[in-house]
Amino acid sequence: MRGPGPGGPRVLRLSVQVYRLLLRIVYPARFRQRHGEEMVRLFRDRGRDALRSGGTVGMLGHWAGAFRDVVMNGLAERMAGGRWLSGGGGPRDESTTGGGGMGAVWRDGVYAFKALRKAPGFVAVAVLTLALGIGANTAIFSVVRGVLLRPLPYPEPDRLVLVWGEMPARGVENFPASPPELEDYREMSTVFEGLAGFFTFPQPLTGDAEPQQIMTAGVTTNFLSVLGVEPLLGRDFVRSEGDPVEPGVQPGDPGFAPIAAILSHGLWRQRFGADPGVLGRVVELGGGPAEIVGVMPPGFRLLTPEASSAAEDVDAWFAMRVDFENAVRGNVFLDVVGRLRPGVTVAQAQDEMDGIAAEFRRLYELSRATGFRVEVVSLHEDVTEHVRPVLQALLGAVGFVLLIACANVSNLLLVRASTRERELAVRAAMGGSRGRLVRQLLGESLMLAGLGAVVGLAVAQLAIRLLLAFQPGNLPRIESVSMDGTVLGFTALATLVAAVLFGVLPSLRASRPELASSLKDRGRTGSGSGGRALRNGAVVAEVALCLVLLIGSGLMVRSFVALQRTDPGFEPEGVLTFDLTLPFGRYPEIDSRTEFPMRLQERLAALPGVTAVSAAFPLPLDDRQFNGRWGLEDALADPQAFRQADYHVVLPGFFETMETRILEGRDFTHAENVDSAAVVVVDRRLAETAFPGGSAVGERILVRASSPEPQWVEIVGVVEDQRHTSLIAPGRETVYFTDRFIGSFGSLTWAVRTAGDPLASVPGVRRVLGEIDPLVPLADVKPMAAFVDLHRAPTRFALVLIGVFGGVALFLAAVGLYGVLAYTVRQRAGEIGVRMALGARSGRIVALVVRQGLALGLVGVLVGLGAALVSTRLMASLLVGVEPDDPLTFGGIALLFLAVAGVASWIPARRAARTDPASALRAD
Amino acid sequence: MDDTHDARPTDFLPLTPVAFEILLALADEDRHGYAVMRSIEERTDGAMSLHAGTLYRAIGRLVDAGLLSEVEDRPTPEEDDERRRYYAVTPLGRRVAAAESARLESQVRSARARRLLGGSGSAG
Repeated sequence: MRGPGPGGPRVLRLSVQVYRLLLRIVYPARFRQRHGEEMVRLFRDRGRDALRSGGTVGMLGHWAGAFRDVVMNGLAERMAGGRWLSGGGGPRDESTTGGGGMGAVWRDGVYAFKALRKAPGFVAVAVLTLALGIGANTAIFSVVRGVLLRPLPYPEPDRLVLVWGEMPARGVENFPASPPELEDYREMSTVFEGLAGFFTFPQPLTGDAEPQQIMTAGVTTNFLSVLGVEPLLGRDFVRSEGDPVEPGVQPGDPGFAPIAAILSHGLWRQRFGADPGVLGRVVELGGGPAEIVGVMPPGFRLLTPEASSAAEDVDAWFAMRVDFENAVRGNVFLDVVGRLRPGVTVAQAQDEMDGIAAEFRRLYELSRATGFRVEVVSLHEDVTEHVRPVLQALLGAVGFVLLIACANVSNLLLVRASTRERELAVRAAMGGSRGRLVRQLLGESLMLAGLGAVVGLAVAQLAIRLLLAFQPGNLPRIESVSMDGTVLGFTALATLVAAVLFGVLPSLRASRPELASSLKDRGRTGSGSGGRALRNGAVVAEVALCLVLLIGSGLMVRSFVALQRTDPGFEPEGVLTFDLTLPFGRYPEIDSRTEFPMRLQERLAALPGVTAVSAAFPLPLDDRQFNGRWGLEDALADPQAFRQADYHVVLPGFFETMETRILEGRDFTHAENVDSAAVVVVDRRLAETAFPGGSAVGERILVRASSPEPQWVEIVGVVEDQRHTSLIAPGRETVYFTDRFIGSFGSLTWAVRTAGDPLASVPGVRRVLGEIDPLVPLADVKPMAAFVDLHRAPTRFALVLIGVFGGVALFLAAVGLYGVLAYTVRQRAGEIGVRMALGARSGRIVALVVRQGLALGLVGVLVGLGAALVSTRLMASLLVGVEPDDPLTFGGIALLFLAVAGVASWIPARRAARTDPASALRAD
Repeated sequence: MDDTHDARPTDFLPLTPVAFEILLALADEDRHGYAVMRSIEERTDGAMSLHAGTLYRAIGRLVDAGLLSEVEDRPTPEEDDERRRYYAVTPLGRRVAAAESARLESQVRSARARRLLGGSGSAG
């Protein structure tokens, strides 16, 4: 389909959906069957023309005409009346009234439309208000549906679970399993149809083309069958492809290199040109030959929760050849995904795994010491857990916006009803039943809500586009967010609820005019105290709801400011980062893997514009983790005395490159990057915990890094804390090691500090790398600032959205307050005239009106403060550095709101004070 | 209006502007709805611009009255190869359109005669 721009076809598709819905609502089935499809075609053709010539604005124009056309003709068609072909009433003449057989409901609908047509200003304000509310709700709901509600893209996804280890004694959750543990789970459990293990890491893909670093997943051979998916081309792994080459083989051993791999659709297209003949071809993966046995369908991936260290975007899966029987029990690296047998619940699985964990505690010293437990979590729940609070907060926020919009429109209707009291009284006097009047007034509400929904869908379309632009990058399945039938259904429901909410009270109220008084000449004073109470109630509710939202936004602003001020412990600006992984096959000797980075560091440092170079694994905030432990003397006797730590492998010069302050001692020297030097640098947190009040330099701690046994290392330096895993919270105690001490495993993330734009140094880096070894792929090149930005993104996302909703709410509440006061001023014009005639100065009149406005505002603020105290607690997990009942935010927003209330009252007050007493009295 | 066999063209007069325009648009060739709409828009320089509801309501009535017939669903040569429904003017439709034209012409003649409208070729 051709379109005017990238968004065109989507706008058109969505419009056609809405149009179809509209046809279904408005037209009788007979007509629809005969002309419906052709009408949709015509609408689409004209819509395409409108998009081409006028873009989205043109489309809105088209919609305006088409909406009126459909509703009017549809109603006329329902009436199925009379003389159109000859005589007055043509097909365009919607006001045709003759003809029998017309349902009372439709007659009411026509009446409602005619009534609304007489008040275009009122309709415009009401429709826009509702469109904001309905549109925001539709947009957020479509995100919630795509991310939280839609089932995972695997067959029978409810039966998929993740199986995590827990070590309560060490405060560790979501822990992977070791191969022997996975084997035990399989043998001892009965609730699973299958259990598969997987882990991911980058590897170089070489062979037929340019070397390329790809993300690979080592999986057990039943991985795909547990998920219930099959390759698009070729076949799944067979059992023998997972057989270990030799007993005891582990990841990292040369014998671990895979022999069979399945490609992602993306890699297949990008590197192999979507060639079906790729099956059976042998590539070099991780330094060894592997046969390509399959290609996965497009879009396939295993969604993983945030707690997992496994990557989601995998380019190739390979059958790992681990000796499950003889693997080291403490070497945990496998995430475990399982498929429950039909009919088994997560709770039942948990029960059984509790028993297995108890057995582990009985059998193994380590399990006993750490209080080992197993947790079974539904995959869907686990994947969406970290975003649920944000989305729930947003859903709450937009719900408030819609309620405020309803309160506003309700108010408009109440005011309108009081000005129409005479008309309604006449109709009642002529025998219109109360039910009929209510129905007609509700018909107006429904029609307003319907118009609001149509405009709201356009608002939602725009809002979704903005949402996708601002999304924090950690929303799972964000690509599946779209407006489908369910979302439209939600919109329809929200519209109906809104119509009832804002329509029922005013129509009940308006349908009970006090006949006698209304029919007397002074009909316009006929709004009784009941009407005023309703209007005031609506305003108070609006103010209270709005205050809650504004306090929420205020808390988000404070969080974001706190986050911006957080010192990550290093300077991210001006640093270029990239990943290098040495192909094991080309660098089998540890010496060659130690030497390569040292040489590269030297050559890179010599590049013009480069001021410092180093490398680390992991780099702070790069979302990778290297878990370790540290302890003091007492830990030798009692393993429980070991504490959790973040380990980092660094090259000399790391702290200078990151501009992290060295508080005490010194950095590593190049001479210390050897086996024999057992030295470490620690962060301030560790130093203060281990040696409170004294110097840590020269002291020794125990680590378990390169050997299973604890090992003494000497501290040569203490550095400022770096934020490693999150900007929000300080991390764990940290130990920095030299590359060689850990075993030079050949995978480092590089940091190059430059004088100017870090990206400008990329060509130089590429050249130097090519000169040293052209077969080492350069991967993931990006500025360090991007990591920091990514970690601020979730807070920014919540801030922007809640802020926007808060702003909309404030605007609506101010308009509502203004509307009520302006109306009161008109109603009280006579009284004000009398007061002025009696000598009241205009200042007093202003004070009178403003006082009334402030009183309403104050009641609303008080109610709102109470509601906010309860509801902001629900967003506690989104906040950074501020409490959910932060008094400064509460007080500040309350004052801000009263100021807005003051201004909103002052405008009508000024008008009141300018009343000419004579004319006011005459008019009364 | 179901039995149209003995209908006299004048029974249908006056036609509504929309009905007349549709008959005019289909006078020289069979068209589908979108083409009818475009033809009307072009001929009236955009003064008459129809949406689907009005157009198909009128077409439906004209078909019921026997002035138009639904020809067939066939692919369109332009845009895409989607099948669309084509409409044609029936002989009765032609007579009605002619009668309406004559009626309008006589009105125009009267208008000219009363100097409401300028121009040459008038009878007066």
